[in-house]
Amino acid sequence: MRFSIYRFNPEQDSAPYMQHYDIALQPEDRMLLDALVRIKAADDSLTFRRSCREGVCGSDAMNINGRNGLACVTRIVELKEPVELRPLPSFPVIRDLVVDMTQFFKQYHSIRPYLINDEAAPQKERLQSPEDREKLDGLYECILCACCTSQCPSSWWNPDRFVGPAGLLQAYRFIIDSRDRATQERLEDLNDPYRLFRCRSIMNCTEVCPRGLSPSRAIEKIRLMMVKHSL
Amino acid sequence: MWPNNRESQPVFFNLLRIEFPVGAITSIGHRVSGVVLALGTPVLIYLLDASLRSAQDYEWVRALLNTAPVKGLVLLTIWAFAHHFFAGIRHLLMDIDVGSSLPAARLSAWLVNIAGVGVALLGGGMLL
Amino acid sequence: MRGTLAGLRAWLLQRLTAVYMIGFIVFLLAHFATDAPQSYELWRAWMMRPEVSIATFVFFTALLMHAWVGIRDVVLDYLQPMIVRVPVLAIAGFSLLAMETWIARMLLVS
Repeated sequence: MRFSIYRFNPEQDSAPYMQHYDIALQPEDRMLLDALVRIKAADDSLTFRRSCREGVCGSDAMNINGRNGLACVTRIVELKEPVELRPLPSFPVIRDLVVDMTQFFKQYHSIRPYLINDEAAPQKERLQSPEDREKLDGLYECILCACCTSQCPSSWWNPDRFVGPAGLLQAYRFIIDSRDRATQERLEDLNDPYRLFRCRSIMNCTEVCPRGLSPSRAIEKIRLMMVKHSL
Repeated sequence: MWPNNRESQPVFFNLLRIEFPVGAITSIGHRVSGVVLALGTPVLIYLLDASLRSAQDYEWVRALLNTAPVKGLVLLTIWAFAHHFFAGIRHLLMDIDVGSSLPAARLSAWLVNIAGVGVALLGGGMLL
Repeated sequence: MRGTLAGLRAWLLQRLTAVYMIGFIVFLLAHFATDAPQSYELWRAWMMRPEVSIATFVFFTALLMHAWVGIRDVVLDYLQPMIVRVPVLAIAGFSLLAMETWIARMLLVS
């Protein structure tokens, strides 16, 4: 199978280039990550992140034929040849397919991704009704792989000021958590021209999310909550 | 403006190599058509003003709109208006959670793109 | 920037003006489809009916506010250096205000 892979080694290369590989796959190779592991066996200079190899850790996010996805859950048979692999768009490249996610995590931290509740803790735990717990479905599953944010034009233009789809999905996850007490503060924090409102509902985020989540819908719900709270 | 390209740290950002799903096409069309309409607004106000000023100016506006190069601009404006109008309605509905699931949004994006061009073609047919 | 036309307010303004414009455009298209004015006199008489001229004035006001929010969004995305951004926004804002004055004089004064 033919591959064309983005290569860049900061110690040797002055500029990135595309390297071609022709690799014989084995019947047990089903996912793109299997193929990458095979390529690495032939050329151990090829660098990429991977860990759980089943779409849970979010390490092997990359641009696959123009579309962000996780190599470990992308079926080889569905790929057009030559398979073009590049690092996540708009993120600084450290080496080959490995990108610097500092900015991404900075935005994630900026939404305070933890429960805020100053009330005295009950003896056992803060209980939540099954209905309230259900509201977190479709939100808590995010693995922070950055496929969405890296495919989002609004994040391309303002990566330092727009929180981005991944961060906003998590913002909503805490905004609607019945145990959180900082809803109002969280909404106010997002009410400026950049943090949330750079979103133009393009929906590239939802298009590429390997977990099938919908950041665009979370953003839409945050805006509606803002409207309700401002009335 | 462009994603930061620090020394010795390249960035992959080739828009020709990045896939744009149909919704992204609708969205950039919404933006382009919005800019076209904004630039066309003073022209529209000018023509409206002239058409109300006197019978003579009114006839001049009618004649002007019938010349070939102006017809081209009118056609562009019709596309820009139609696309912006339909894409805007799509956004208004999605804002209140109508059709904001991915399959529905993809379908409506196709419909908007086709309707914008369709109205422009119809308008072109009527202009000729 | 908080509290000004920053986030939610700009977004809401964009939506509210859009809804008014949709209504007006549908009304306008319906009028032209059924009873298009055939001469200057009829056109002017129709436009100068108070309900039509006021609705048209409100339409252009909505259009110009809508355009302001839209232009600002485009500028915030693509024009990052302040030395470009500030003059472009200033020129756009001034032009829109000038157009508003123009339309007011045309439809409300005469």
